[in-house]
Amino acid sequence: MTATQIRVRAPKARKPWTPSQIVLTLLGAAVSAVFMAPLAWALFTSLKSETEAVAVPTHWLPKDWTVQAWKAIFETGNITNWFVNSVVVSVCVTAVVLLVSALAGYGFARTEFRGKNALMGLVMAGLMVSPAVLGVPLFTTVQQMGMVDTYWGMILPQCAPAAMVYILYKFFQGIPRELEEAAFIDGAGRWRVFFTIVLPLSRPSLAAVGIFTFIASWNNFLWPYMVTNNPDLMTMPNGIATVMNSYGIQWAQLMAGGLMAGLPLIIVFVFFQRQIVAGVAHTGLAGQ
Amino acid sequence: MGRPGLNRRQLLAGLGGLSVASSFGFAALGTGTDALASDANTRVRYWNLFSGGDGYNMIAMLNSFRKDHPDIAVKDSTLQWGSPFYTKLAMAAAGNRAPDLGVMHMGRVTGFSPGRLLDAWDVDLLAEYGVRKQDFNPQLWNRGIIDGKLYAVPLDSHVQLCFYRKDVLKKAGLLGDNGRMVPVTSTDEWFDVLKEAKKATKKGLQTIGIWNSDQNFQWWFFVAFYTQLGGTWFNDTDTEVTFDTDKATQVLQFLRRHITDGYANPTFGGPASAEQFVNGSPFVWEGNWSVPVYDTAKIDYGATPLPPVFGKPATHAESHAFVLPHQSDRGGPANEGAHQLAAYIIRHAQQWALGGHIPAYRPVLSTDAYKKLTPQNEYVSAMDHQATEPKVWFAGSTGILAQRVGPIVVSSTMGSAKPDSAARRMKSELTRLLASKNPMDGKTAAQGGAVA
Amino acid sequence: MTTSAQTIVAPARAKTAADTATVRRKQGFQHGGWFVAPFLTLFALFVIWPLLRGVYLSFTDANISGDSANFVGLDNYREALKDPLMWETLGHSAYFTLLVVPCIAVLAFFLAMLAHHIERGKWLWRLCFFAPFLLPSTVAANLWQWLFNPGTGMINHVFGLDTPWLADKSYAMLAVVICTLWWTVGFSFLLYLAALQGIPDHLYEAAKLDGANAWHRMVHITLPMLRNITGLVIALQILASLQVFDQAVVMMDFTPGPEESTRTIVQYTLEEGFTSYRVGYASAISIIFFVIVASVAVARMWLLRKREEGVR
Repeated sequence: MTATQIRVRAPKARKPWTPSQIVLTLLGAAVSAVFMAPLAWALFTSLKSETEAVAVPTHWLPKDWTVQAWKAIFETGNITNWFVNSVVVSVCVTAVVLLVSALAGYGFARTEFRGKNALMGLVMAGLMVSPAVLGVPLFTTVQQMGMVDTYWGMILPQCAPAAMVYILYKFFQGIPRELEEAAFIDGAGRWRVFFTIVLPLSRPSLAAVGIFTFIASWNNFLWPYMVTNNPDLMTMPNGIATVMNSYGIQWAQLMAGGLMAGLPLIIVFVFFQRQIVAGVAHTGLAGQ
Repeated sequence: MGRPGLNRRQLLAGLGGLSVASSFGFAALGTGTDALASDANTRVRYWNLFSGGDGYNMIAMLNSFRKDHPDIAVKDSTLQWGSPFYTKLAMAAAGNRAPDLGVMHMGRVTGFSPGRLLDAWDVDLLAEYGVRKQDFNPQLWNRGIIDGKLYAVPLDSHVQLCFYRKDVLKKAGLLGDNGRMVPVTSTDEWFDVLKEAKKATKKGLQTIGIWNSDQNFQWWFFVAFYTQLGGTWFNDTDTEVTFDTDKATQVLQFLRRHITDGYANPTFGGPASAEQFVNGSPFVWEGNWSVPVYDTAKIDYGATPLPPVFGKPATHAESHAFVLPHQSDRGGPANEGAHQLAAYIIRHAQQWALGGHIPAYRPVLSTDAYKKLTPQNEYVSAMDHQATEPKVWFAGSTGILAQRVGPIVVSSTMGSAKPDSAARRMKSELTRLLASKNPMDGKTAAQGGAVA
Repeated sequence: MTTSAQTIVAPARAKTAADTATVRRKQGFQHGGWFVAPFLTLFALFVIWPLLRGVYLSFTDANISGDSANFVGLDNYREALKDPLMWETLGHSAYFTLLVVPCIAVLAFFLAMLAHHIERGKWLWRLCFFAPFLLPSTVAANLWQWLFNPGTGMINHVFGLDTPWLADKSYAMLAVVICTLWWTVGFSFLLYLAALQGIPDHLYEAAKLDGANAWHRMVHITLPMLRNITGLVIALQILASLQVFDQAVVMMDFTPGPEESTRTIVQYTLEEGFTSYRVGYASAISIIFFVIVASVAVARMWLLRKREEGVR
């Protein structure tokens, strides 16, 4: 767990440019350029006209810069709907996941009840179930509940992540018992202890779980794809992939739409880099 | 003011709380953003699979419908063509969340469980809005009738065409006096044409695009040429496979030869076929829905049905049809609106013809406006030589038949399987499919399946 | 339990008060059922029930409409085991996994070493290597579909190639792999980076004093210290890669790829369920696939346990 803190060094006095640093930096810059090139290509394509996008020979920069593709996706497509849907689904999933998995993690870590170990084992087994593995039965279940093509049908099945319970369970186990015991002796109820003592202590872990859940939910394609038929209800990844707007595969518009789906998280990342890096590393490393 | 940090935190917390609250509010409403904005009396939800130029024309027709019928709000949604469309339509119907009106390919209707996933049309109501059987080709109209009920109303027929660039063919001396491509009646003639055309083609471009890696197109082309040879699929009672492997081999060899002789470049075996054509490649085989694409690209081109290289002209054809996806409480103004909208679009199909499709509503065909359309007037004869898939539950556009047999055609065209062994595999696949049961009613094709 | 030990040594004169305290302390941790109830409800509804339902459906001929189905015994399983397409698609998923996992591990390690050792602009490297992971899978797939587009795509243009990436069965899966590498390596990269920064500096300093060069330090300190994380990266990637679906279908426009070369087992299951409407059969394939995925996970747990025992 200690490894999860990615240290961001305080800006000390600048180190000198040693030859090895120069080589490494150049290499890093080259690799970064390769990693960023597809995104740049998408951006430039989105600023071309549709005819220029497929013109031969291919060229990087638009000869005629135009925001026509961006205008078109807002005017003709459902993209604003999808954006709202994505926000609604991701926010709800994140809120529910945080609440239920914090409660459950605490319950498993700190309380006693009959069948606890068996249930914990069951939850661990649940780590192996995903919509990719059991999509068809999951769909028929949701269909039976009458939730196909509803927000809840998209949201609720994403709200039982065994992994997040496990992460928080591990974390709560690490909190010293004495803190809670002292509060109990003072007569505080279990729920008060949980909300006023335990939760504030777990803010970093909760942030990690929340961030990871939000990213996963924002980017989730498979489950929303299976459970929504109505294009008005689709989320960004699903809408972009399945509903071409009424004017066919048009690369400039497709790239503009893709950037619109991807950029919010990237921009957020630029500002909250430390928290996000810690969050992703933390949740990933919990598998150790 | 004195403690901006705290204020900012409060603000963030407030915003966060607000967004969570409003998200849950939205989710509780559960119907999507558009539910918030609809004030018309009747609301018709309409799903279609029309993108590209078709999408453009469909929207134009919808807009004129909206202008004529301001009391009816049409909420149209376009889904990507192919499996996702049918999957989603089937799932919506099964989940009882189906739209009021949908579009399907005619060939898929029999396998789409009419009566369970589809509701029947009210023929009288349609007639009230001006759509009657006598205005259609009876064979086409009857394809929509199952168990005596009308489940699909045809909008058009669409066919596979051979698009050619007049500028390149003129250079190659392949244009006749009427400004159209010289007629071709045998494979030898066809490859001679390609040979001449190749000489006149710019460097870096292929001579012909045949979608060699696309299982749908390859399957359609196969159906067309196999029908030209007079090939059959099953006997009348759907109990035996009558597929002729010799004829099939002949067709597969013909398709393969485009690549081995260097006319089709496997690199451009997908949608790039069309991009190549726009950039100056002389031929591409494509559906008539590409007409508006090439119109927009402002190139000088013509289009004929697929060349009758095996003697008898035939080209693959399908039909778009309006259907009523199953709703357990179908009826009322939305249902009536769906009838009205479908009838309106069918009767005003002149706009639709711009998309290259041949309108099913015959009065449109005899108008001067239609007769003036090029290249539509060049290939309208294709209607009389349709090559269609067998009428079994597993057939139809991107259906199981195309999904299972199409890849075999591709493997032969791409050279990873020998044509004769591919033909044998096709036959065994057809045998397997004929014996398989329709999951919707547990019957094989011979037992009637959903066709009866 | 510490509480019971403390009760015994509690001074006699404070008995009543101490008892109350003990009772309270104990009660605080009792009857926690309500804490886990909300999660378990969701878990039961959307994980356990579908699993059980999947097992049930796999013994029936259920279709998509949700009507009553007939019990068919082991027919679906018998058919599945003889179904060449199931084996073929399983093979595609396995092939994909085989290509992706080692590449991800190596590439992520390389990127992490780079980002760890370059002294300037750390946030920038992190952003560049990690940003693709923040894109939805479908966006990444569309992007690479466009990059691989013959004629107008950047890949062929930049490298002067004429490769039918998405149209030829020998390249198609490779194209999906390349897209996946670009898209997901950022996650493993972060895990490696975190692990690298967790290696105590004094190990390196001691090695330096002993005259070990950079290469030796990497082989003898860094790599052994990263063994756990490598195991984790590989395990997570195997599980994720076996379940590949998004990139493959989107890059191939929802077809099974050229000559069906990119149809994965997940795609096949969904096709059988939602295109062929054979929910019963699709469930049987799902269960078979579930057993495979679960056995990978169990194998990993078993390996971990064995190693821990070995350490002791």
